Amino acid sequence: MTEFAQYLISGLVVGCIYGLIATGFTAVYNATHIVNFAQGESSMLAALCAASLVVAGAPLLLAIAVAVVVVGVVNILVERLAIRRSGTDVTRGIIITIGVGIVLQGLAALAWGTDAQPLPAFSGPGSISAYGVVVPRQALWVVGTTAVVMALLYVFLTRTFLGKAFRACAMNGQAAALMGIPTGLMRGIGFLLSGTVGAVAGVIIAPIALMQYDSGVALGIKGFVACIIGGFGNPIGAALGGLLLGATETLAAGYISSGFKNAIAFVLLLLFLLVRPGGLLGEFGAAKR
Amino acid sequence: MSRHAMNKPALNRFLVLAAVLGLAAFSNNPYVINLLVVCGLYALPAIGLSLLMGYTGQISLGQSAFVGVGAYGSVLLAQHLQLDPWYSLALATALSAFTAWSLGWLVFRLKGHHLAMATLAIALILHTVLVEWRSMTGGPDGISAIDPISIAGHALLDDLHFLPLAWLVCYAGLCLADYLVRSPFGLAMRTVSENEAVARSLGIDAAQVKRKVMALSGAYAGLGGALYAHWIGYISPEPFSVAFSIKLLLIVALGGVSGVWNVLFGVFIVVIVSEWLKPLGRLDVVIYGLLLIVVMIYCREGAVAALAGLYRKLPQRLRPGARASLKLQGRTSA
Repeated sequence: MTEFAQYLISGLVVGCIYGLIATGFTAVYNATHIVNFAQGESSMLAALCAASLVVAGAPLLLAIAVAVVVVGVVNILVERLAIRRSGTDVTRGIIITIGVGIVLQGLAALAWGTDAQPLPAFSGPGSISAYGVVVPRQALWVVGTTAVVMALLYVFLTRTFLGKAFRACAMNGQAAALMGIPTGLMRGIGFLLSGTVGAVAGVIIAPIALMQYDSGVALGIKGFVACIIGGFGNPIGAALGGLLLGATETLAAGYISSGFKNAIAFVLLLLFLLVRPGGLLGEFGAAKR
Repeated sequence: MSRHAMNKPALNRFLVLAAVLGLAAFSNNPYVINLLVVCGLYALPAIGLSLLMGYTGQISLGQSAFVGVGAYGSVLLAQHLQLDPWYSLALATALSAFTAWSLGWLVFRLKGHHLAMATLAIALILHTVLVEWRSMTGGPDGISAIDPISIAGHALLDDLHFLPLAWLVCYAGLCLADYLVRSPFGLAMRTVSENEAVARSLGIDAAQVKRKVMALSGAYAGLGGALYAHWIGYISPEPFSVAFSIKLLLIVALGGVSGVWNVLFGVFIVVIVSEWLKPLGRLDVVIYGLLLIVVMIYCREGAVAALAGLYRKLPQRLRPGARASLKLQGRTSA
């Protein structure tokens, strides 16, 4: 039983990260109807940036803030220079975002090499144990930060003018444009949101899971799987999907085989795409669009 | 390019191809010959993807999986059943086609992004299986000491002897694909690509068309993989990763959809550029990614069509044989 609880809790902690990344996918998808295949690179870039800044002597908090802002700016640039020019063709959008991912990953390999860049845990390396379940202190930071970010996003999207304009744009871009909402700006905001949320995810998980130049790919795909499980375009579903994926993955890795851990997420992806492409909280029709 | 005019270009292309390969063979430059074999082996899966993505409009990031099925399938069949590589080659191609066809039943319920991710998942799952199923696949170390293909007791061990075989297969593959896209089935493929609802209203079973093309693209990929395995004599999971799928995507994007033969153009560009970039070390990935983005933004109908467009803008007197230039049947993107 303790073993089960241990796996479950570790899974939920990782699930928070998947949920955050999934929310990033959702933000971009809502604004542009593009699935950003370079989504995971935001997390990787932020973690490596923050690690370098800490090594250079910056205080942890400042390093994290700078890293998140840098990644936000990078994402806006990516949208401006590459994504906006891709037009509406789905295949072209997919290939361009894959290209962006390759470029970012290559630049990261040039800047940081292929070794993992460790980031210190926010409040010391110790761990907490209760009822035989041991979690690193950083896990509390992960869960707490995720909750705060999700709450902020919710408030932004439902309670602010800009957030409402963003949602209007997501529901019907043309109608929103006719109402005077600058849709180009909203695309930028979508990428900024997804970049910063992804960056936060990368920074808070970095002390637990070592990050290196190619860590973004796996995180991005897991985030997408979380999206599919939860329902594409639905932020709450994305968070839920993340938790579910994290728990399933860790349990399966613990009880079945850790080598096949990654394949489990993909099998889950295929299952959901085939049985319930709209996800838990979505509609079937959305996936066929 | 009307139907009755196709035999002559096909013959001309064969002669040009044979001349280029013959020249390379006589130059006796091992590097060039090696690159040409690589080109021929890249071309096979690329033709398959061109049929699937270019002509039928179904994106696939999973082609590397079918190449892997072909390669590992042929090697394992040859080793465990003591088959001659020729038989294992044919069986592996069939196996790969069957795998693709069955997966078609599953993934073609999806479109666009979801299809891309589902096929990506297939590629990732296969790669994980190749790495983890050590007892069968040898894990990350792979399988070595693979029997070469032999013709009449003469093993095709070196590149020079393998070159004609690779390109004969490639030529046959190109002719078959060329014939296919001109046939009524090819028109059905294009209709499915343009608008599935219209295709169905015309009595075209869109789902079946997609599955058939998927199976065929799987066969091309599997054959390419199997030939590769028996040529190189050693396989590991690494060449069959998603990166190879993306390379194929770039090849097809460069070639465009104005003709199956343009795939060769994409293959040569990608293989040669990859070779040029190798000395740059890690920078090569960055340039490669930029190339992908630039091609997608600026050459929407493929680089061949873009070059042809530039050519047509040249003043008349600078264009030898301008009147004979073929009208490219570029597909308008919605």
